[in-house]
Amino acid sequence: MLFLPRFDERCLLAILMKQKKRPVHQISALFVAITLIFSSLGFSAQAAPDVELGKKLFKQNCASCHKLDKKLIGPELGGISQRRSEEWLIQWIKDNAALRASGDADAIALFDEYSGSVMNAFPALSDDDIRSILAYTDAGDQKSAPLAADAAVAPVEEENSPVMLIILGSFLLLFLSLLLRIRNTLKQVQGEKATHLLQDANKFYLWVNSNKRFMTFLTIVLSLWFLQVTYAYLMGIGVEQNYQPQQPIAFSHKVHAGQNKVDCNYCHSSARHSKQSGIPSANVCMNCHMYIDGSEITDSLTGALKYGGDRSPEIAKIYAAIGWDPDKRAYTDGGEQKPIKWVRVHNLPDLAYFNHAQHVTAGGVECQTCHGPVETMDEVYQYSDLTMGWCINCHRETEVKTETNGYYADMHDRLKEKFKGEKITVEKIGGLECGKCHY
Amino acid sequence: MANEKKYWKGFDQLANTPVAQKLAQNEFVEEIPVADFLGNQQMMESSQTSRRDFLKYVGFSTAAATLASCESPIVESIPYLIKPENLVPGVPNYYATSYTDGQDFASVLVKTREGRPIKIEPGDKGFFNSGTSARAQASVLSLYDSARLTGPRKGEESSSWSAVESALKQAATKAQEEGKTFVLLTGSVFSPSTKEVIDRVRSAYGNFVHVQYDAASISQKLDAWEALTGARALPSYDVHLANVIVSIGEDFLSGNNGQQLAAAYANRRKPGAEMSRHIQFETSLSMTGSNADKRVKLKPSEQGAALAHLYNKVTGSSVKVGTLSSDVRKSLDSAATELLAAKGASLVLAGGNNGANEHLAAAINAALGNMGTTVRPDRAVYILQGNDRSFANTVADMNAGRVGVLVAWGVNPVYSAPHSGFAQGVKKVDFSLALTDRWDETASVCSVAAPVPHYLESWNDFMPVAGTLTVSQPTITPLFDSKPAQEVLLALIGESTSYKEFLKGNISERGLSVNSVLHDGGAIIGQGNGTSSAAAGAKALAGVAAAADEAAKVKTGAFEIEFYQKAVGAGFQANNPWLHELPDAISRNTWDNYLTVSAADALAMGLINESQSNGAINGSLVKLTVKGRTLENVPVWIQPGQTAKTLGLAIGYGRTKAGKVADNVGVNAFALMSDGATSDVATIELMEGEHEFACTQLGNTMMGRKIVNETTLATFMADASGKSWNEKVEYHTMLGSVTANEASLWLDHDHETMHMWNMSIDLNNCIGCGACVVACSIENNVPVVGKEEVRRSRDMAWLRIDRYYSSDMTEERADAENIGGIEMYASMEVPAESPQVVFQPVMCQHCNHAPCETVCPVVATTHSMEGLNHMTYNRCIGTRYCANNCPYKVRRFNWFNYQANEQFADVNPAQDDLGRMVLNPDVVVRSRGVMEKCSLCIQRIQYAKLEAKKKGSKMEDNAFTTACAQACSTGAFTFGDVNNKDSQIAAVKKEARAYHLLEEVGTQPSVFYQTKVRNQA
Repeated sequence: MLFLPRFDERCLLAILMKQKKRPVHQISALFVAITLIFSSLGFSAQAAPDVELGKKLFKQNCASCHKLDKKLIGPELGGISQRRSEEWLIQWIKDNAALRASGDADAIALFDEYSGSVMNAFPALSDDDIRSILAYTDAGDQKSAPLAADAAVAPVEEENSPVMLIILGSFLLLFLSLLLRIRNTLKQVQGEKATHLLQDANKFYLWVNSNKRFMTFLTIVLSLWFLQVTYAYLMGIGVEQNYQPQQPIAFSHKVHAGQNKVDCNYCHSSARHSKQSGIPSANVCMNCHMYIDGSEITDSLTGALKYGGDRSPEIAKIYAAIGWDPDKRAYTDGGEQKPIKWVRVHNLPDLAYFNHAQHVTAGGVECQTCHGPVETMDEVYQYSDLTMGWCINCHRETEVKTETNGYYADMHDRLKEKFKGEKITVEKIGGLECGKCHY
Repeated sequence: MANEKKYWKGFDQLANTPVAQKLAQNEFVEEIPVADFLGNQQMMESSQTSRRDFLKYVGFSTAAATLASCESPIVESIPYLIKPENLVPGVPNYYATSYTDGQDFASVLVKTREGRPIKIEPGDKGFFNSGTSARAQASVLSLYDSARLTGPRKGEESSSWSAVESALKQAATKAQEEGKTFVLLTGSVFSPSTKEVIDRVRSAYGNFVHVQYDAASISQKLDAWEALTGARALPSYDVHLANVIVSIGEDFLSGNNGQQLAAAYANRRKPGAEMSRHIQFETSLSMTGSNADKRVKLKPSEQGAALAHLYNKVTGSSVKVGTLSSDVRKSLDSAATELLAAKGASLVLAGGNNGANEHLAAAINAALGNMGTTVRPDRAVYILQGNDRSFANTVADMNAGRVGVLVAWGVNPVYSAPHSGFAQGVKKVDFSLALTDRWDETASVCSVAAPVPHYLESWNDFMPVAGTLTVSQPTITPLFDSKPAQEVLLALIGESTSYKEFLKGNISERGLSVNSVLHDGGAIIGQGNGTSSAAAGAKALAGVAAAADEAAKVKTGAFEIEFYQKAVGAGFQANNPWLHELPDAISRNTWDNYLTVSAADALAMGLINESQSNGAINGSLVKLTVKGRTLENVPVWIQPGQTAKTLGLAIGYGRTKAGKVADNVGVNAFALMSDGATSDVATIELMEGEHEFACTQLGNTMMGRKIVNETTLATFMADASGKSWNEKVEYHTMLGSVTANEASLWLDHDHETMHMWNMSIDLNNCIGCGACVVACSIENNVPVVGKEEVRRSRDMAWLRIDRYYSSDMTEERADAENIGGIEMYASMEVPAESPQVVFQPVMCQHCNHAPCETVCPVVATTHSMEGLNHMTYNRCIGTRYCANNCPYKVRRFNWFNYQANEQFADVNPAQDDLGRMVLNPDVVVRSRGVMEKCSLCIQRIQYAKLEAKKKGSKMEDNAFTTACAQACSTGAFTFGDVNNKDSQIAAVKKEARAYHLLEEVGTQPSVFYQTKVRNQA
């Protein structure tokens, strides 16, 4: 049996967004995406409903303590229906404490085996629900064979390198000179005068000499254009918009913030309190990744288990860094810890003081306003140009929360009087003053 | 017509001699020392590189460097692996702890960022000495001193703690077997837990002796009090209860007796009926003397006689009085009258390290009924406990070979007692261990040296004063392989417990909660030690005749020398560049100690201080001899207010093994001292040569201008409006007469809508200590520039304390005596022989009509609607127009990249990785070629505003303050928002004493001053 996750607009959008930066491949990507949508729709209709439901329920209720193929906090559950009777399992899952209280020997033995770890009761699950879960534990996560589409997506490579362009250009030149020769030969055959580039150039020079005004004009235009280009180039120095460095761990904001809807502040908790947004320390990662080791990650396109049921090598990097032994499920004693060296994406110069709390807590600005649609980025890139002009523009336009923030209680009336009905922007309370950010 | 005249450079050229021919061939007369500045000459000559090639390389490399610099560097961000729970990056954490550096004590708060201490702030719970001196402020840099010892070492080789500990154990056992003593030599130990550790060692080793030794000793004073109360401790002085304070040579405001009295003193210096009266008799012009209402010059040898005379006058008795000049007698008589009028609410203090004098002072206080009121022997101060006699005995034992083990912990007698015979004695000790912070003079003669942690890395408890327990807690993981000395001692007696646990156990045993004690930094555990003030007073009175006889035995000579302390103190933190760059309160000299002489003596002996063409001062050198010991090349500083025929020299300088900052700065005054005496008879002899001073103030008088507005208490009380003593400048305009604050040529900035930050500086409260200057440097990453640059007037301090001497010449006197203008101004420049001194902290005045703002061609300095003058470093191109146009001269220019330029490697702490850790991460480090100046701690303003916005509440008046205001223990600074009508600053702005500096210029500053009022008739 082959099943695939449903392919929705978000994935398409994600692909399109990603491809925006590489417009050459846009059409091919669109083609691939459309092909995929049709194929996935076709396949998903064939998926068995009970297993599908069971999988969903399993993820919701059981996955934090159980896995199909290995012991986690509780025993492994793959093929559990072969080891225990369905009736017993339903009783146990619904209320294992009651089952133990009834003196069921198996239940008590199991409880002792796991040294008294109490499993939650799930009275809300119906018998059918539990059967679905059990069906899922029997079926397991099917490893699907790589699709043809998969192969089509993979080799997306940059081709417009300067070397290629130079080679192409020289071919073109060669081709042009060949054409010229052929044309001249033909002309000579017809008895016409052949075109001689050098003579023509000389003629052009004479013409130029007699049209000095035009040339002066042309020179001025060209100089201005050159100046403009130079200015634009110089102004772009240090502006790293779209900077997308490779990170030591292929952490995807799309998966965390987008698909799993983890709040930005959960990891970047100091953004509310501090000038730094804070890169989460590895122990924050471990809050979830102590249980999620990536073995259940499915490929977003094929639905197949991405790492063939093994631990994700990327998550394993966190384990290595913090010194966690995922097999023993414990921190290694005196184990070596290696800090993770992330590459900073957004770099403000030292001379500019920026405070996250000022914008996030006091100003109520959304993270995305400056950082862009991070929830769609697999690898984060610098969305805004982070130039002073960009800061200033926002300060000119953004209204200050003078009405709601108690800090402005005294100033509010004075500001209202002074600006008589105008929008009170950051600029109006001194937000453009140099020393507010440069000290 | 062409000029046919020919000029010859000399006869040689005219005669066309071979020399002239040769010279004509060579462009330069002498060979140019190319090799000197380009390195290897041979290589230069054999090189195939032509000038053209060289230019090509330069061109290409410049182009390559330019292109490369367009590429942004890759910045790594490394988060914690496991973030400590209470730590948020970017948000400071504060820890209450106790500052000690071997000499001082203070209850402080330590500001840490991302786990590293960056600032010392005054304690907030009001425990003993809850203020920060310049030394306490600077102490955070001593933590990051790269000269600290990084691990145990045996001679020049590195060793290990286990080796050190086992060697110590072996040596201690051996000494016990051989009947030799085991000496633990420490500074003053006033930590109850440490004492307990020492007691345990004492009971384990029968041959154990604990000796306490202070470099800046008050041992004889302590002896006197031990005789009176039985406790070897000074009483605490309640200066705030004293209406009249008479100090005979005691510089009590500098805190060198262990007590910070400045705050209590300033508390009673507010003009009004309650203002105290302070009379100072002293030798050298001290900070305390500068603040006195009346100052009388006195030779050190006259101190005892002065006290005896004062005693006679106060009690009507007639104990023996030594020689005393009639002027001093007269002043003492009037002081006695004032003291008698304030019985029970007066205070007499004796200076120096002299038991007899101290006894006489105690007797006077007893006679005046001050025992138990202003003098509190029951609240004994334990901060200084050193005993010179036991130290001398120990050194004698060492030299006699009777000492088997010597553990020298936190002391440096090789430097601070060079003539005691200690250095020779160490060699005769079988095993000597220095528990030290650096490989200093003493550590290098001991057989083994091992590092102890800095106070910011340590656990400890203290009892600075009877009834108060304070704690020290680490604010950073130890930087080096150090071990607390207490743990070394515990290990010696086989106890493996950590000192932290030992300490916590002791705190719990007292019935205190460890957490709350650590949170507050201490606890009040009792009310004094129960000593009877009356009994002490009675004893003092009983022994007064003997004390007077003893005091009269003092030696006199043609010249007398007094040893005093500057910001460097006794030299424990001598390797701290902030303390060297902080100008001396009185002489305003940096990076030096020097012999102070009076102008009359200088004239008589041909000693000079001369201004050079660059404005710096050079001085004569003398050979100074005390008791046959000689110091050569001692620079001379002519000091107004110095008593005739006396000299002054600061201790704490002339270190040789403290680190690159301290070594060879100044001369070692300890080399002239003996038996802890702070004064002696000396002779001086002029030497060849000159000394280069780095003085930050060249104009010493106010030349009749209202820079520091000053009046007397009588005038102040007579006219509450201030019209007669604080006249406002008025302009005559077409609109009539307007004050300088109303006159305006252009539209004013809006200062009413948002905040309006103002600062008031009360000149009555400023004692000139310089804690604010150091605090400012730390808070704002102000670079240290070193002596050479200060000498070129390129000091970078954003905040300076100007000191002005009064002059005998005034405009009134010139009028009365018909003295012409030129002569009047010439003599106005000369400070009086006994000048009155005023201190005035000056920083950017944040003018609301700022002269600097109008001249900046690139708009790098601008005005904010909060009344601040902003300086945008990244915009500045360094024209320095602003500095030239600033009437207050508060702008500072970065002539060099002090953080990277090799020239400053020896002085600038930001040049090594360790020293950089002290930088405030909220303030940018300025680079070469930009102007900088006081921002009124805009980073603190912005931070506090944000905190209020985050909470969504109004800003409280006391929510924050600037670094200078926070460091000031006397409350001279008031800072706040004048638009907040309930604020303290709004209230003081309306006071009659308030005035602006150089009001007549019309700059309308946001900083203003409060008129100085002296308690004089």
